Amino acid sequence: MLSIILLSVSGIASLFLGFNKSRSLLMPATLLFLLVALAVNLWDWNVPFTLSSAYNNGMMTVDKTTIVFSAILLVSALLVIPFSQNYIDRPQAQPAEYYAILLFALVGGIMMTAYDNLIMLFVGVEILSISMYVLAGSDKRNLRSTEAALKYFLMGAFATGFLLFGVALLYGATMSFSIKGIADYTNANVGNLSPLLYVGIVMVLIGVLFKVSAAPFHFWTPDVYEGSPSLFTAFMSTVVKTAGFAALYRLLAVSFTGLYDYWAMSIAVVALLTLVVGNITASHQHSFKRMMAYSGISHAGYLLIAVTAFQNTSQDAILFYSLAYSVATIAAFGVLILVADKQQGSEDFSAFNGLAKNNPFLAFVMTLAMCSLAGIPLTGGFFGKFLIFSSAFAKGGLNWLLIGAILMSAVGIYYYFKVVIAMYIREGKTEKIALTGLQQAAFVLSILLTLLLGVVPNLFADLV
Amino acid sequence: MKQYFPSDYLPLLVQFSAAAAFVVVTMIATHLLGPKRNSKVKDAAWECGIEAKGDARTPISIKYFLTAILFVLFDIEVIFMYPWAVNFKELFREMGSVIFVEMLLFMALLLAGFYYVIKKGVLKWE
Repeated sequence: MLSIILLSVSGIASLFLGFNKSRSLLMPATLLFLLVALAVNLWDWNVPFTLSSAYNNGMMTVDKTTIVFSAILLVSALLVIPFSQNYIDRPQAQPAEYYAILLFALVGGIMMTAYDNLIMLFVGVEILSISMYVLAGSDKRNLRSTEAALKYFLMGAFATGFLLFGVALLYGATMSFSIKGIADYTNANVGNLSPLLYVGIVMVLIGVLFKVSAAPFHFWTPDVYEGSPSLFTAFMSTVVKTAGFAALYRLLAVSFTGLYDYWAMSIAVVALLTLVVGNITASHQHSFKRMMAYSGISHAGYLLIAVTAFQNTSQDAILFYSLAYSVATIAAFGVLILVADKQQGSEDFSAFNGLAKNNPFLAFVMTLAMCSLAGIPLTGGFFGKFLIFSSAFAKGGLNWLLIGAILMSAVGIYYYFKVVIAMYIREGKTEKIALTGLQQAAFVLSILLTLLLGVVPNLFADLV
Repeated sequence: MKQYFPSDYLPLLVQFSAAAAFVVVTMIATHLLGPKRNSKVKDAAWECGIEAKGDARTPISIKYFLTAILFVLFDIEVIFMYPWAVNFKELFREMGSVIFVEMLLFMALLLAGFYYVIKKGVLKWE
């Protein structure tokens, strides 16, 4: 887990870099830190399993799954950072602090993918969440941003209470914080499980489902995503979601495999509810950013289908889907940041009117991202959905959920293409938007990843 | 072991309803029984004999808050150091000098934070 140490230290280093008069060094330094962390993260790839489990007194495990999840988080951050250019240039901005908090947030995210102990899960969730509370309110002069931060903080603290209470109950029932210890207890006491365990499972699930904004716990999402600066919304909707699903699947797969019948139905119902609420509400939004918030909710629903299916292929499906979703979402938010900057901060669909005329590249990036999110073939999103649906189909008995999901993805095509129509068909004038080299590189990388995931999915599907 | 039935908790329920009833009854009774003489002076908020002026919710400088939070940080740091110091001999026997280095690391991280805070000018009052 060298990458955690490295990210923490580089976060502190980035804070001190902020005392430098010039701000031009900050972004390259942060990108460098992230690249080094990514390299160090992949360095552990061939570590034998026996050795890796000895890390940190059984607090964390490093294996191929956790490495791939961490890599997705780091790649998401790498793609987000270039779009912070507009924020650095504002006079009242504190870029050094933003970058440092982003780096610290990644530490929490990686802990959530690799935890072996519920305490580490809690610490990871908190590091990630508290960083996000701060970043949601980073646009201090903006009332909406402050509102978003306060709302996220109050609701998030409440959900963390559920998580912590659940962890305490699990400990009360099993006498262990270790997820493997909990599994040992449930396997040894089949048919004679303490009722505390069941309550504990439900409470922990509520805590984690809140973080990934699944349906009955999604009410904070649109307001928070809309109020926060777009840069951090992009980070929130990708990194937090990926880390949350990594944590959720790890907990269920390691600790509660034997109790599948107990939790599966609740997760399945939550998945369907999330899909319906996310997609139906997204289809009548005027603001693109708010639509993306509801789209984030609906994608949590697709990922929950994979959790419900709980097959051998489910984890791969979650990994693949998270990567495709993160890349497409960041590309979409990247275009939004650039466009909104030119349109006096307007983030509505109408801001995109006629974008394709003077900015064909941006329009193409956005179209591809929307295709991927909608699940059109030849993009990563299609194979992500395919893998998830096929794992649910292999499980059997989930056809009602699959039918709902397919209907809802048809609804998705409608609202994702609203922005494409605005860009290509509606009249409007946006002058040429200048891109920095790094922004171009991020867009090209996201196009390449989306197409590669869509055309040769085997490259990634057999990774783990 | 003695078996307890739900009915054994009946006294608790009685006690609870008695407590709740007391609150409700007193609140209603004081309203009904007490004499009422309203006047402008009588209804005014009483502030040590001084006339109340303006709103209590005035903005307070953020500096007070920052100083208070920094104090809490120092507090937490010391809370971590007490158990460490008390158990130091035993821990040293078990783990060797690692335990000392770990506390140094903790302190270094914390002091880096304080150095950052001072550089940032949080403690400058004017």
